[in-house]
Amino acid sequence: MVFTMPAFVIAKATLLSFCLLCFSLASEAAEQISVPHAKVTKAGNGYTLNATIHYPLSPRIIEAIDHGVPITFNQEFQLTDTFFLIGKYWPWKNTLWSSTIRYQLRYHALSKQYVLIALDTSKQRNFPSLEATLNALGTVEKLNLPPEYLFDLNNITLQIRSGVDIHALPTPMRPGALISNKWQIGSPWVDAVWP
Amino acid sequence: MNIFKRLSSKPILYYALGLLLLALAYLLSAATQDSSQLNELFLIIFGLGLLALVILIGLLIRSLLRLYRDFKNKKPGSRLTIRIVSLFVLLILISTTIIYSFSIHFLHRGIHSRFDVQIEHALGDALELSRTAFGIRIRTLLRQTRMMSSVLSEVPESEFNANLRDLTQLSGAVELSVWTMKGQLVTSSIQNPNIIEPNRPNEAIFRQLKQQQDYIGLDPSDDGRLRLRAAVRIPSQEIEKEQKMLHVLFPVNEQLSSLGKTVEDAYTEYQELNYLKNPLISIFTLTLSLIVLLTVLASIWFAIWISRRIVHPLQALADGTQSIASGNYNTLLATTRHDEIGFLVRSFNQMTQRLTHARHSTQLSHRLLEQQTNHLGTVLGSLSSGVITIDEQHLLKTANIASSEILGVNLQPHLEQTLDKLENQHQHLQSFVQMISKALDNKTSWQQQIERRTDFQSQTLMCRGTPLPNNAGWVIVFDDVTTLIQAQHDAAWGEVARRLAHEIKNPLTPIQLSAEILQSKCLPLLPSDKTELLSKLTKTIIQQVAAMKDMVNDFSDYARSPGLNLSSLSLDTLIQEVITLYQSNNKHTIALKKYVGLTLELDSNRFRQVLHNLFKNAIEASEEADMAVVIDISYSIIQQASTDWVELKIRDYGPGIPDDMINVLFEPYATNKTTGTGLGLAIVKKTIDEHQGTVRTKNQEPHGACIIIQLPLQRATS
Repeated sequence: MVFTMPAFVIAKATLLSFCLLCFSLASEAAEQISVPHAKVTKAGNGYTLNATIHYPLSPRIIEAIDHGVPITFNQEFQLTDTFFLIGKYWPWKNTLWSSTIRYQLRYHALSKQYVLIALDTSKQRNFPSLEATLNALGTVEKLNLPPEYLFDLNNITLQIRSGVDIHALPTPMRPGALISNKWQIGSPWVDAVWP
Repeated sequence: MNIFKRLSSKPILYYALGLLLLALAYLLSAATQDSSQLNELFLIIFGLGLLALVILIGLLIRSLLRLYRDFKNKKPGSRLTIRIVSLFVLLILISTTIIYSFSIHFLHRGIHSRFDVQIEHALGDALELSRTAFGIRIRTLLRQTRMMSSVLSEVPESEFNANLRDLTQLSGAVELSVWTMKGQLVTSSIQNPNIIEPNRPNEAIFRQLKQQQDYIGLDPSDDGRLRLRAAVRIPSQEIEKEQKMLHVLFPVNEQLSSLGKTVEDAYTEYQELNYLKNPLISIFTLTLSLIVLLTVLASIWFAIWISRRIVHPLQALADGTQSIASGNYNTLLATTRHDEIGFLVRSFNQMTQRLTHARHSTQLSHRLLEQQTNHLGTVLGSLSSGVITIDEQHLLKTANIASSEILGVNLQPHLEQTLDKLENQHQHLQSFVQMISKALDNKTSWQQQIERRTDFQSQTLMCRGTPLPNNAGWVIVFDDVTTLIQAQHDAAWGEVARRLAHEIKNPLTPIQLSAEILQSKCLPLLPSDKTELLSKLTKTIIQQVAAMKDMVNDFSDYARSPGLNLSSLSLDTLIQEVITLYQSNNKHTIALKKYVGLTLELDSNRFRQVLHNLFKNAIEASEEADMAVVIDISYSIIQQASTDWVELKIRDYGPGIPDDMINVLFEPYATNKTTGTGLGLAIVKKTIDEHQGTVRTKNQEPHGACIIIQLPLQRATS
């Protein structure tokens, strides 16, 4: 009985806190990732994309990073061709090309550096502050677009969006993140500006 | 739905469900392990668990509702099922709660015990120690970098490249590069010839240098090793010249780098685990709670199922018992079980079979009894003797047909009535009932003869009473012996008359002849004064002898029974013929009141004799009393005791019959007349008896008598 009561209380408290957490997470909407600037520039025969992505990380994500939890960010790019079947009211979008760049952000305690790793290239960059890291992460510079789709720019749209890859989180955090607005901060698709 | 119902009644479904739940519990448990491949599928497995939970809740609600409906409808066995289910549920809840509580407790304690403040401090200290260890080298390298920067500041920019190569070799740096403060590369020297482009310092370093602060810090590289990054402004002599910075990457000692990495990894992992402690507890608690909930619900569902299985034979037994109670003895219950319940069902079947046999035997006995009762009833019904039974409380229990006929009362409506009540309702049974009541006081068999007066005649009954076994009452058998006694009486009188006629008639003729001879022979011999006397005496003798002859003839007639010579006669004609003989006397008024036109089978001569005797009797009685001779004759058809009779009434207006004579009027020598043989009415009665009729007499108001003759009509043809 000595053991039973505290355990029971703990279980109750855990369940209660989990439920409360769910409700609180669901009720409070965190600030979303946004793409304030996305512009395509002609470079030689091809086109490059320059964009700025704003990552307003919530305290919960920052706390996780500071505690050594690696966070994965996705940057998705999508080139679509739009057809208008009936006038302009029924657009049909055909995805010509899409690409996802995945970055992992983690904190290196010994060096007190924030490490940003491009998971596709394993290229690593280190930053002394989180702000600098997020700035670097949010800066897309001279991303080459596939020239084979860009002969005719009519009805061609380049869209960008970015978000936290919740499925890359450690298992214990995943259920909470899936139902929490503080983790669901992905930006909507944003159209890039063509020259 | 039917398939589901069929399946739900089969154990395999429950076993399959149990295995599925076990598999799900295993998957849930495995998915929470960080190293498991199922880790990625945790959410799907958890969702499946929730789905199973919802399905189980649905099934459980359905089962509970069914149980409640059965209980509300008072279905046999539902109460017991609920009791067993409640017991199971209580046991399941108590045991599961205890196990759950302890598991949660151990889970929390287990996870918390992995994280210790001392370990955390030790790891922090180790990290700090590593930093300190690097710190000495960092400071040295910073000085070295500043020195290199001073060296570069002394040489023109065009010689940077050559100087950098020398400095690289001298300092042992991995890479040296000169950048403008705007981030443009001026020149670089890289020890590794495979690397062409130097590592670019990030913007934060530029910003720090712009604030006149040198930068040096540990830098984890792509290959996981550590290195030191230093950035120092190159002092410029010319103010207008663009500011530049020296960026150096130094290698770190292999062992130091390895140790530092180990400490960093351990610290980071500990921090991460510590941070994930609460989510981990939540996940484990949730998983455990889900498994426990699934187990509890499945156990309760299983408990309901097993309770139904336990109670089902008992329910069948209850149904069977009710069926037997309602009279259906052919109920047999099926069982394949070999436990105590199977034994109970088999015993029940044996009991049912025995009951069926017993019932058949009873029915057979009942039929036999009914047959015997019917047989006895038929026997009693066919008896000419009256048989009645009376119980100890003097209630009339049974009476056969003959008893009703003899007593002239239908006794069937009076069954279960007391004798006193019967007596009150039928006054003419008074003497009979009183005799029986008196005789019943004796507890032994008795026999008694009684005379009872009915409306028309007296009746002689011979009664015998016998007590029934076990003091159950008495059986009383009685016979109407009136006819027998009358016959005996008549036979006695006949014998008297025959002997009298025989003994007296023979000497009469010699006496008469002697008297006549005496008169004829002796009369001339006697003197004249004596002749008259002789003549008178002999005449007297002759007259008396003649009278005696008449009397003897009457006796002879009475005694003689020549048999009837029946012929169809019109009753009207016959009566009228006899009346005609009496119409010569004006003083006599004899008339047939109504002509019915009936024809009867009668002995003509003897019936005329009957009418003569009756008329003569009536005339003599009226004349003796100096009353007018008026005789009314009438007849009609009546129904009595379900038989049609012709009732002939001869009514006079004389003095009537004295009371003391009424019962013996038709017996020989029953006369109050001074003349006559006294056999007239006796002959009338004998003749009517021979015609199977009855004759009785009744005084009439204000005076006069009526002779009533009843003849059976079946002899008549209309």
